[in-house]
Amino acid sequence: MSTTRRDEELSWGPREAHTVLHHDTPRRSGPDKVRGAALYSHDRRLPGLCYGVLVHARAGVGPVEVDLAPALALPGVLTGLQLREEVSFLGQAVAAVAAETPEQAADAARAVVVALDESGGWSLTPEAALAAGAAQVTRRGNVSGPDEDGDAEAVAKALERADFVVEAEYRVPVQHHMCLEPHGVVCDYRGGDTATVYASTQVAFGIPGSAAEALGLDASKVRCIVHHMGGGFGSKFSMDTPGRAACLLAKALGRPVHVFNDRAQEFLSAGNRSGSIQRVRAGATKDGKLSAYAVEIDRLGGVGRGAGNPAPYAYRAGATHVATRSIRTHTDSSRAMRAPGHPQGSYVTESVVDELCYGLGLDLLEFRKQNLPEGTWHRQLERVAREIGWYEHPHRTAPGRGDGWTAEGIGFGVSMWGGGGHDGAECAVRIAKDGSVTSSMGVQDLGTGVRTLVAMIAAEELGLRAQDVEPRIGDTDLPPGVGSGGSVTTGSISPAVKVAAHEARLAFAAHVAPVLGCPAERVTFAGGKVFDAQTPDRGLTWRDACATLPGEGLSGYGKWRADLQGSGVHGAQAARVRVDLMTGHVQVLKMVCCQDSGLVLNPLTWRSQVNGAMIQGLGQALLEERVLDQDLGIALNAQLQDYKIPGCLEIPELVALIDEGDTREVPIGVGEPPVIPGPGAIANAVHNACGVRVRSLPITPDKLLDGLAALRAGGATR
Amino acid sequence: MKRPPRPQARTSEASPTLSRRTFLKGAGGVAASGVLAREALANAEPSGPPRADAEVLEGPVEVEFALNGVATKVTVEPRTTLLNALRVHLETPHTGAKEVCDRGTCGACTVLLDDEPIYACMTLAVRAHGRSVRTVEGLASGDELTAVQREMVASDGMMCGFCTPGFVMSMTACLEKNPDATEQELREACRGNLCRCGTYPHVFEAGMRVARGGAR
Repeated sequence: MSTTRRDEELSWGPREAHTVLHHDTPRRSGPDKVRGAALYSHDRRLPGLCYGVLVHARAGVGPVEVDLAPALALPGVLTGLQLREEVSFLGQAVAAVAAETPEQAADAARAVVVALDESGGWSLTPEAALAAGAAQVTRRGNVSGPDEDGDAEAVAKALERADFVVEAEYRVPVQHHMCLEPHGVVCDYRGGDTATVYASTQVAFGIPGSAAEALGLDASKVRCIVHHMGGGFGSKFSMDTPGRAACLLAKALGRPVHVFNDRAQEFLSAGNRSGSIQRVRAGATKDGKLSAYAVEIDRLGGVGRGAGNPAPYAYRAGATHVATRSIRTHTDSSRAMRAPGHPQGSYVTESVVDELCYGLGLDLLEFRKQNLPEGTWHRQLERVAREIGWYEHPHRTAPGRGDGWTAEGIGFGVSMWGGGGHDGAECAVRIAKDGSVTSSMGVQDLGTGVRTLVAMIAAEELGLRAQDVEPRIGDTDLPPGVGSGGSVTTGSISPAVKVAAHEARLAFAAHVAPVLGCPAERVTFAGGKVFDAQTPDRGLTWRDACATLPGEGLSGYGKWRADLQGSGVHGAQAARVRVDLMTGHVQVLKMVCCQDSGLVLNPLTWRSQVNGAMIQGLGQALLEERVLDQDLGIALNAQLQDYKIPGCLEIPELVALIDEGDTREVPIGVGEPPVIPGPGAIANAVHNACGVRVRSLPITPDKLLDGLAALRAGGATR
Repeated sequence: MKRPPRPQARTSEASPTLSRRTFLKGAGGVAASGVLAREALANAEPSGPPRADAEVLEGPVEVEFALNGVATKVTVEPRTTLLNALRVHLETPHTGAKEVCDRGTCGACTVLLDDEPIYACMTLAVRAHGRSVRTVEGLASGDELTAVQREMVASDGMMCGFCTPGFVMSMTACLEKNPDATEQELREACRGNLCRCGTYPHVFEAGMRVARGGAR
């Protein structure tokens, strides 16, 4: 029931009172998506549309000469342009060509002659970048740092006193975002001084400025539309090279142009999660205290710096020392990828925690609780432990021995994230005389369910059903949204929608009060009715109430408010795996996530996101790795048939649990945190099952079989 | 579940005796389809002498097929994929089937060719000649979704939705043949479809609701 509280008292109220929010609500884009009617930017077809294709060198880096003439002589080819004179990372696009059809454009791209001066060589791998005489990636060399934090002396002392010490090197390879919709735009420019850009982007309002620059127009004359968007995961915060090429080609032709990366270009030049090498020295005492944690971290971010890896992640250690450097290579810069840096930090820390437990014969769960702050994580760990069957599990203080045919193991991990919103999002809620309601904000929906929230929040406020409100999003002609990164979207947009709907309701209450014969404060909106709180049996239906409005209806406008959202989330995950000891194949049987995120606005889409995050964690743990050939200067698996992501046959039973112990009545974003603990939990489950610690991701059968062979030979596990 | 009306009747009205072979003859010569496909994929640069009984198609060719039950013509180059024919070359482009990998690895382009799920990115448009092509746009009648579509929405079997048309088509094909499919059978049927958002559990849930629901 919605009352007409004064603005300063506005709050989300107790979750039990909601009739729309906190209830499973199918996403609004669902019917269009299942019918193929949802138009993604990649699907835009316009009169006179032509197709652009990017050209990149197949191998190596260095100064480049491009001859477009052979391409321009082919049938249907309209124009071409050189994008740069130096290939600074493997696979960077150097030219673009446009033709009447995609087939002709592909012919043209193949015909472009790209002459690369390879004499300077390249450094594709960290080993090559560190070698004497290595090709230099930046003018300041291939290494930046180290930056140091903590107390090395205290660590040394604590390690001396520790009852068990782990010294090990861990490796996390580069992982790809692998958005299904590639990066790119359709630039609708037909001469004149305006343009519309259909972009696959996480930040619709960031596009007009850069598109305008490429088109030579004012940003105010460029509109960006992102009605549907095929995944970003952190990689789509700019127009990128395809976007710039589309605008330049459109400007040259005065025709709309479609330019999207092909799949190889996605792998080579559309970002990635930075890899890392972590050399750890950690110690613990017999009484279960993590006494020291020192780590040297090499961030592998290509031509970029790479993400920082928090260590020892969420755990408290008696003494810590972290030295971080970036090793540059001639590969695409890493970008934000779902919780940047955290999975790398979590995987290594959680692995080391288990190694210490086994060294001391301590219970994996109890050790965690002892070294994590009390409260949320303890509750969540116990919850996932129950759900995964930990308390009945035989290997709680020592791993399985790797004998027999198969072995089952359990592993744990925890996560932490912010998830709060920020200023900038605005919303307009309009109530029409015929009773229809629109809730408008230009924000994009990456697939998280933002469109549905924009309707649900307004519906709750107005006492309507979610389907009674028409959400309008993904358009820079609408009130501004925010960029979707860092799990900020929910926390940023929700207050603005709520305030806008609240303003509309106050205006409506003032208007309808004389009709109901009661003061505006008593006007109540609930169950599709408008009535005096003292006479709930009487009153007007929503439609009849709206019919009393003037022809233009009425509207409310809202901006972000800090007090209507929250920040700071925690999660715990457990994984159960079965290891085939003959083949080294790992099957994840079950994953459980217990996650807090304040008031969960739509539990249905929340579960989808948490499930999906666990699945991406599974991919990072067992399947995904970029492979480069330093000698040939090429990428070996820059195609989807060679870079494996989780598919139907790898999906375990997944349990996504809202942490009911979190009573905060404010929404908080949840996009990133559940992607964090999976790799650590799965790696730990593998070790727990069979006694083999694989210290590099992904945990592939070859590594596991080597480890099992060493274990059987009585050697140390790798 | 109810099978949608088969489009063959209307196809045969449009082209009563057309088969691929007669079509290829009409279009300028007899081509063994395997050779045709290989030559086309090699971008018209034959690696060896063509077989004696084969000629390579050249230039624009007109392809006729029943698209969601409606006789449809499209003029394409012989090397054009069915996916590009649908998405780009049709007078009314059908962009439900998605281009993601263009290499037959992800299933986002899945359509039904004579009711069999295929990768449209790995199928030449000329191969669809005289046959029935069903795409995700053709399942619902007006606003009335099929059971698979309804349950996909209800179970939230999608996030970004770019893989969704492919999953819907694979599941539809599976459940039309085997209305009592088990979850494992559904997974097998969809194993050629990839999703990056990780929406799988809700997709399987949707499929199982349809399978258990039977003909509704």
